[in-house]
Amino acid sequence: MKGITSPQAAGWLLALIVAVLLPLFTGGYLTSILLLIAAWSIVAVSLNLLYGYTGQLSLGHSAFLGIGAYALALIAVKVHVGFWPAFFAAIAISGLFGFLIGIPALKLRGPYFVLVTLGFAAIVGVIALAWTGLTGGANGLAGAPRPTPIPLPWGGRLKFDSLLNMYYFTLFFLIVILFICHRLVHSLIGRTFIAISHDENLAESLGINTMWKKLLSFTISAVFAGVAGALYASYNSVISPDIAYFTRGMDVLACLIVGGAGTMAGPIIGTFVMTAIPEALQIVPSLRTLINGFILMLFIIFLPAGIAGGFKAFSSRWGLKSEERRHGAP
Amino acid sequence: MVELAQYLLNGISQGCVYVLLASGLTIIMGILRVPNFAQGHLYMVAAYLGFYMVMSYATNYWLALVLATFALGILGLLVYFLVFYPVRNAPEVNLFVAAMALLMILEGGALSLFGTESKWFLIPWSRSVLSTGSLSLQTQRVIVIAGTTVVMLGLWFFIKKTALGAALEATAQHREGALLCGIKVDRISATAFVVGTALAGIAGVLIGPAVLLEPTMGMGPLLVAFSAIIFGGLGSIAGAVLGSLLLGVAESLASGYISATYSLAFVFAIMIVMLLFRPKGLFGKEVWRP
Repeated sequence: MKGITSPQAAGWLLALIVAVLLPLFTGGYLTSILLLIAAWSIVAVSLNLLYGYTGQLSLGHSAFLGIGAYALALIAVKVHVGFWPAFFAAIAISGLFGFLIGIPALKLRGPYFVLVTLGFAAIVGVIALAWTGLTGGANGLAGAPRPTPIPLPWGGRLKFDSLLNMYYFTLFFLIVILFICHRLVHSLIGRTFIAISHDENLAESLGINTMWKKLLSFTISAVFAGVAGALYASYNSVISPDIAYFTRGMDVLACLIVGGAGTMAGPIIGTFVMTAIPEALQIVPSLRTLINGFILMLFIIFLPAGIAGGFKAFSSRWGLKSEERRHGAP
Repeated sequence: MVELAQYLLNGISQGCVYVLLASGLTIIMGILRVPNFAQGHLYMVAAYLGFYMVMSYATNYWLALVLATFALGILGLLVYFLVFYPVRNAPEVNLFVAAMALLMILEGGALSLFGTESKWFLIPWSRSVLSTGSLSLQTQRVIVIAGTTVVMLGLWFFIKKTALGAALEATAQHREGALLCGIKVDRISATAFVVGTALAGIAGVLIGPAVLLEPTMGMGPLLVAFSAIIFGGLGSIAGAVLGSLLLGVAESLASGYISATYSLAFVFAIMIVMLLFRPKGLFGKEVWRP
């Protein structure tokens, strides 16, 4: 995103304008879909940091999503604190779980790591369903609060009682998290993440503490997924164990791969496509896993780089001015 | 004491299902280097196939067992050529994702075809129980133990005593070496997939009458089977068998003495501890280092 005139910057600006203005002209239903796209995009962005940039394929993100959502509701309901303390506590708890699970899991590589994250997701899913005293079981948990109004410096208060405001609230977090990811990936730490994703042994031999860097990436990723969970809980107010069901982690991965892992726009494009297509075609929810599976399969076979990655390759082949061209070989 | 013996027996019969799944996974993993996440869902598909053959078309149970096993073998062949063959040279991670996509397709397909409500797979001896002394076991569970023993002996014979089995083992040991010896590695990979999915098919139809059928029934056994492979050591069928039986017993003891709801959580805890302290498992020679 160097320079305000690059095609990428123009694309981002256009997407932002559409994201801000579109719900003003559409009905409530479409706004709620856009809100969900924004929330799931946050999860996809968080998985992108871990998988796309650090090379660690996790299927455990449904767990962090669930932990963020349940933590917000439980803290607000049982401890009787306001939204903001509960929100930050929920995020911290999600990050803490990421850190604690990351320590044993990240010592493993390849399929072992994938399996441990999947096992963790399955355990959290079982707890959400079976520990009825804590989570309400299959009936779900009610009472996740909406954000408390923020007083504005010029008087008046920023309220979050309407769907539209909740959408902007979620969009705000998506933009903030995207920005953090962008800065992170282009920092020295981000370079070490990418080095690990290319060749972990080589990175280690260059003096990178790969375990620590992977743990950092995993924890940040868990925090972001927790943010998405807390935002979803706050919007929906009732949480069901569905949110922590392990296939959600696979759906997020599907969105990421379809959009393009390891690109900034990929997770958002993927989430948009994978949510908008079933919505537009009015597909019943039970068929969605099936269709998402088919789309994921087609992409992994024919276009594993995803939409954004494919576009990048296409534009550099046909001589369109892209970032790589200008900053690449002399 | 009687209680303990009963839990051990239950654990062994449950472990037998894991034995079939885990040995199929080991064969596929040995040749293709892909953890087939969809193995549990293939087992679920087989259980439903058996259910519909017996319940809707009044097929004999044993015939249904054979037919479903063949059907799963053919499905395995299709899956191999449509899904894994095209991505065989891609990075390892793409193979994981392809397996996951297969899982999603099977789960979504099962949800929309079979519905979400649980189904009872009823056969004439569904409700009967065999007992000796103070120990008792569902007749079908006894059949599971006997069936698994027969199948595993057959598998041992296939791998150790036939040319195709020897080629399979050789390819698992050293792919390039096998290629140099004139083994058609692609054909062997397809064979491995067929054998692996057929084993899942046998497991599904064997256990079907003893449990409730649900589209998500494959996930728990899949994760336990993976844990068993890690426990026993990657690439060793004997290790997978022992690991499966041990974890089946551990699960049974945990659900008997602690809590049935969380017995799976204990199995995963065992897996994580095992991975931390002895990642190559009890009998394994290698650790996965891509």
